[in-house]
Amino acid sequence: MLYVQILINGILLGGLYACIAVGFSLVWGVLNVINILHGSFIVLGAYLAFFAYTGLGIHPYLFAPFAALVLFMLGYAVQLTVINRVIEAPVLVTLTTTFGLALLLDNLMLVVFAANFRKVSLKPPLGVIDLSDTFPSIDLIVPVDRLASMLFALVFVALLYWLLRHTVVGRAIVAVRMDRYAATLMGVDTTKVFAVTFALGAALAGAAGALLSPIFPISPLAGTTYLGKAFVICVLGGLGSVSGALVGGLVLGVLESFGALFFGPEHSLTLSFTVLILLLIFRPNGIMGKRGFV
Amino acid sequence: MVDLLKASGLCGGYGDVQVLHDVALTVKAGEIVCLIGSNGAGKTTLLRVLSGMAKSTAGSILFADQDLRGLPAQEIVRRGIAHVPEGRRLFAGMTVRENLLMGSYLRGDGRAVINKDLDFVLATFPKLAERLHQDASTLSGGEQQMCAIGRGLMANPTLLMIDELSLGLSPKLVGELSKALTEINRAGQSILLVEQDVATALRLASTGFVLDTGRIVLSGPSNELVANPSVREAYLGMTAA
Repeated sequence: MLYVQILINGILLGGLYACIAVGFSLVWGVLNVINILHGSFIVLGAYLAFFAYTGLGIHPYLFAPFAALVLFMLGYAVQLTVINRVIEAPVLVTLTTTFGLALLLDNLMLVVFAANFRKVSLKPPLGVIDLSDTFPSIDLIVPVDRLASMLFALVFVALLYWLLRHTVVGRAIVAVRMDRYAATLMGVDTTKVFAVTFALGAALAGAAGALLSPIFPISPLAGTTYLGKAFVICVLGGLGSVSGALVGGLVLGVLESFGALFFGPEHSLTLSFTVLILLLIFRPNGIMGKRGFV
Repeated sequence: MVDLLKASGLCGGYGDVQVLHDVALTVKAGEIVCLIGSNGAGKTTLLRVLSGMAKSTAGSILFADQDLRGLPAQEIVRRGIAHVPEGRRLFAGMTVRENLLMGSYLRGDGRAVINKDLDFVLATFPKLAERLHQDASTLSGGEQQMCAIGRGLMANPTLLMIDELSLGLSPKLVGELSKALTEINRAGQSILLVEQDVATALRLASTGFVLDTGRIVLSGPSNELVANPSVREAYLGMTAA
């Protein structure tokens, strides 16, 4: 029963992880930009949700779409004004650019929000669903806040999937991902597609930030932790695909939960990065492979 | 016949490397024109310059009496030139249908009009209809070329440019594709064809241009080019009689 409980915890975490990683993966796959800003975008989304809750009383789950919208606009502006200038440069240049931007944003948040750890404490708390109440033989609990965060996170992931699959903009993004040159020949404006893609990545980071604000402590420097997770998930699942991020997120969530059980919670990150290194050696295209794009 | 495309004095290339020198080429409305020449002659570069994918440094590209030179690629597609690239370059992971519909990406026509064009493409290439919901990367070489041409046609172009129609295809498939192109042309489609297989190219086209090291060295009606001793020797592998 303990293992089932750990599995449940892992899956709940994994849904959120998928949302953290999917935008990062999209930007990497389509623009070939390793967006170091992604983690900071998540933190910014979390802060927006924190202030929306403490200041205006808007529930983080309800606020998530607005966090996504704000980050979408920010992402669009950052891509058009800064990243677009170096988009044709080698990947190290774009990486350094986003790294610099991340430093700026992190320190800006440090100045504006201060270094205190904060957390959205929902009042009243959402509590837990105790399955043994209804089925006395099943001794499992499901924390409602984590369940809700996971479900909303999966809604955002599903929305992205739908957008890529069924809208004109989405088709253009996928076309650019598969073959930039051929997409241009179809009349796709790659500059615009890059900006929209980057903005979508930022929007998903914002939504993820809002959704994790009731669960994880928020601090201006938490960005690198989320970035590290996004990185591992991309390698786990395969780059630039929604399904890959979903699988990678779930795998990492479950892995971390079991890692915490067997080795202690302090080693969960060590475990995930060990798996990352093993995968890079033995299966560099990820569990789902490289081909899938949505 | 009216001149549909008239390039003159065209120079261009990549970065500092000039590939094309003072190229003049005309496509009249409703005809098939072929551009022949050996490897590295600049045929693909010329098509890229025409579709806005490579830079031109001098000259003019008149298309329907408007200069296209310097316009971005998407504007050129919008004005009615579709470029079927060398090596097909279909979107892997998308189905045949999705690939075809990418061709109509810029069109504001309603779904009904686009579906009608889709039906036309599928009637022209019935094999695509059988594989409509299959991943385009699983198609055979010939089917991929059909899909690439179909994708070009879905832009509803005034001029369809095809780069290396026969590349890597069996003679039987080349025959099939040639037949399809002739049919499309009969329906009024103007075509500019780049082809290394000179015999096939001259059979299909009514007019030919010979490109050599970035210059047009010879042009004229296909039947005259076929009879031309230097073409026969250089491109058809026959010694002059």
